[in-house]
Amino acid sequence: MDRGWWWKFGSIVAVTLGTLWFLIPSYYSLAVMDRAQRNDLAALQARLPAWAPPAKYRLNLGLDLQGGIHMVMRVDTKTALQKRTERRGQQIATYVADKKLGEVTVDTDPEKLQLTLTAKDPATMDAIEKDVLATFGDFKRVDRNGATLVLSPDDTQVNRFREESVDQAMLVIRRRIDKWGVAEVDVRKLGTDSIQISLPGRSNPEQAKELVGTTAQLEFRMVDDTNPQFFAQMFQSNPPPAGSDITVTEEGGFPQLQSKSREALLTYTQGKFPENRQVVTECIANPLKKNECESYRTFLLDKTVPLTGESLAGADASVNQMNEPEVNIAFDPAGAREFEKLTEASVGKRMAIVLDDNVHTAPNINEKIGGGRARVTMGRMGARSHDEWLGEAQTLALVLKAGALPAPVTVGEIRQVGASLGDELIKKGGLAVLVGLGLVLLFMALYYRKAGLIADIALVLNGLLILAGLAFFNATLTLPGIAGFVLTLGVAVDANVLINERIREELSHGKTAKAAVDQGYDRAFWTIFDAHVTALIAGFILFFTGTGPIRGFATTMIIGLLASLFTSIVVTRVIMTYFVHGRNAQSVSV
Amino acid sequence: MQILKNKTNIDFIGKRKPAIFISTLINLAILVGIVTVGFNYGVDFAGGTVVEVKFNHPISAAEVRDRAQKGGLHDVSVQNIGSADENAFLLRMGGVTQLNEENATKAKTALESLGTIRNVYSDLSNGIINFRSATPLTTELIKTTVEASGTGVQEVRVLGESQGGSGVDYQVVASGMADKVNSALNMGVEKPDFEQRRVDYVGPQVGKQLRNRGVMALLYSMVAILIYVAFRFDFKFGPGALLAMLHDVIMVAGYYLVSRREFNLTAIAALLTIVGYSVNDTIVIYDRIREDMAKYKGKPLAEVINIAINDTLGRTILTSGTTALSLIGLLIFGVGEIFDFAMAMLVGILVGTYSSVYIASPLTIWLDERAAAREGRHGDGMKQEPKAA
Repeated sequence: MDRGWWWKFGSIVAVTLGTLWFLIPSYYSLAVMDRAQRNDLAALQARLPAWAPPAKYRLNLGLDLQGGIHMVMRVDTKTALQKRTERRGQQIATYVADKKLGEVTVDTDPEKLQLTLTAKDPATMDAIEKDVLATFGDFKRVDRNGATLVLSPDDTQVNRFREESVDQAMLVIRRRIDKWGVAEVDVRKLGTDSIQISLPGRSNPEQAKELVGTTAQLEFRMVDDTNPQFFAQMFQSNPPPAGSDITVTEEGGFPQLQSKSREALLTYTQGKFPENRQVVTECIANPLKKNECESYRTFLLDKTVPLTGESLAGADASVNQMNEPEVNIAFDPAGAREFEKLTEASVGKRMAIVLDDNVHTAPNINEKIGGGRARVTMGRMGARSHDEWLGEAQTLALVLKAGALPAPVTVGEIRQVGASLGDELIKKGGLAVLVGLGLVLLFMALYYRKAGLIADIALVLNGLLILAGLAFFNATLTLPGIAGFVLTLGVAVDANVLINERIREELSHGKTAKAAVDQGYDRAFWTIFDAHVTALIAGFILFFTGTGPIRGFATTMIIGLLASLFTSIVVTRVIMTYFVHGRNAQSVSV
Repeated sequence: MQILKNKTNIDFIGKRKPAIFISTLINLAILVGIVTVGFNYGVDFAGGTVVEVKFNHPISAAEVRDRAQKGGLHDVSVQNIGSADENAFLLRMGGVTQLNEENATKAKTALESLGTIRNVYSDLSNGIINFRSATPLTTELIKTTVEASGTGVQEVRVLGESQGGSGVDYQVVASGMADKVNSALNMGVEKPDFEQRRVDYVGPQVGKQLRNRGVMALLYSMVAILIYVAFRFDFKFGPGALLAMLHDVIMVAGYYLVSRREFNLTAIAALLTIVGYSVNDTIVIYDRIREDMAKYKGKPLAEVINIAINDTLGRTILTSGTTALSLIGLLIFGVGEIFDFAMAMLVGILVGTYSSVYIASPLTIWLDERAAAREGRHGDGMKQEPKAA
């Protein structure tokens, strides 16, 4: 055996051992752990031997196999756009009246998203048109006919608004999930107007509908800072129970309680604050995973809610002359009066902006704010980069808009699988794999004898590689994925059929065993390669266009085909070479 | 062991005309069937609600249907799934919400009794009623009013004050069908004797989106594979591979059409997999044709192709056979769409093998002959690449 062979052999042994090692967390997760703890990574990590791979590399079961809910929410951007256009129309009418340009009536056509301005005095229309178009840059002229002017929102504005509506809805959904404290939830954007939510282990779709049920509650509430040391003292005089992860943390002179669990904080603080106050938490995002709460911190707020999102007219993030990111907030007339009164009475205090029971931020009130326009300037405290603060500002603007101008969200798709059905499907799927795979293995061994057994070894390794690959990429194994698994192995073995048939053919031409094996592999290679590439093309397109379980099918197929190029060609060849070259066999058993 | 003991020498090329004729006929019939009769679209594409229930005692599908109808569910189809002793059923409903035309009219009348109500607009497909009230109403009042008229309400939303203060806009969101299934089946039963195991609910817009995406995915993958084949072989091979691929996809679609099995996302996955797999057999033969063209220089292309097909016939049957073998487990233990998937794949593998032999390769000759006739030359007009294959 030459050096090259030993290298190849060594790497095959290494890959095999590595694959088995990598499947340890999956084995523990599926066979050793209790069903109920299947999604508990911390518990799995505790059970794993120290030398095993981290728990996060375990094989995830799809929602269809472990039970759970998959939902797609559609954001009704059309209704939101109609409401916005109507609102802008009213603003235009007010603007024209304020600037004394004339008198106009504004009609909205909700279907066409058009505003029709009709001037009382046709002579004033030219000036009105010029001024309005210059001021309301998000509208463009559609038609002008004497005293009437038809406007419609600018396309780029419409698109931006659509995107924003989806972002808002997503933010609201995430905040609500944060409140549940469910770790395994996956929320992502789907296409241009939908949001996909996966809730493993949940079985009540009604509860899931809570996520989109009511519109988001935005509140402006005063922070009670009469005793800045409130939480520090609570912690000292009445320490949390043993084993709790609650700690005191301080930022900007106000100690806060911090914990990984929102529930723990609320239980601990319960009954330890004055009656007209309330403890509300803030979600501290995981710096690596933006959409996950790493921990929560406490705020002591007044129970009264002086202002809600209904008083808001709009919000925008921008950068001021000092290059500080800031958020501009506009209130409607009633809200403006209320806000002025509130700020006048509370200069020097902090005001919390709360969305769905989550404190988003608590800026300091520096002075009385009149005129219904407030500004929250970021970047004055804490060490963060400019970009990070700008991101914060954008999120805050989004929070404010979500509370002020919510886009209605409807349920587009719900797929719920009960846990018992999931268990049954795993059992049936497992049997289907065993039977299908068993038949293929048996056939190969009978038909090609030794060469068939070698192909069988490669096939089993291929199967293990697929599972390890799924675990590595944190992909999920779904029911269609199981079908894909079986099918991929069926296709993978085709490669060995092609090789072995070629070897037989070369042997029948009177070639020696050595030459037949070498030529068999060389000649079949490109055929196998082409066949794999075409199947991979279909697999990738399925992956990029499919969702949920179908995506699981595509992932399994892609990993299996890639693994098959290695196992069917490299692995079997190394073993075959050992027999015909190393043992110098004169005949080959195919 | 050997599947074909002696070297075959079947004249595939000679029979190409009747084969292509019959295949074209079947394909056209399927296409006509798709247009006129149409698939039995599942909820994925048609929108609707599917609920899977499992009873804890023997019960027939007719009894389940009876109970559902007594509970007020009229347009429901009940289908037994799994083995008979499992007592599991799929209940399928066209609507996704409890709102239908009749309910909407009743709800409208009920709402109009609340005061000056205008612009009542019911969106039946989304289960939404929008309306404007001159005076502000409480959401509780709206909810009880609509529910009293016979439509379950999931939520009432305040959309805000309308322009110019002419009223307040509200939106009533009707409850989903799954809730209704539960209450309907429970009606008149002391305690629930079934378990709701699975709910699939797809809104009509989403269904349309999913369908469009599926069709696009099929087209994209065909084009991508065609480009690859043209790049690796010769453009002359392209049309043959493409038509064989189309043939296979249409045949598998025909399986869904004729069997009336549900055409859903899994069906699209099966069609896409067939697209990827169908070319495989074709490639094995094409590779061999290319190899033999170099070997038998001077022989007419038709003869070379016939030799190539005959030489690879054994492995063509074997590769299809092993893949089909792997599906047997899924055919035995697979339920519902997984069984359909395995069945569709089996059909695809069989027709894929046939089309590689009878359609893809013969078409190449035909194209070559036409090209030769046009250019007034003879012999093997194919590009020869000395690539190992």
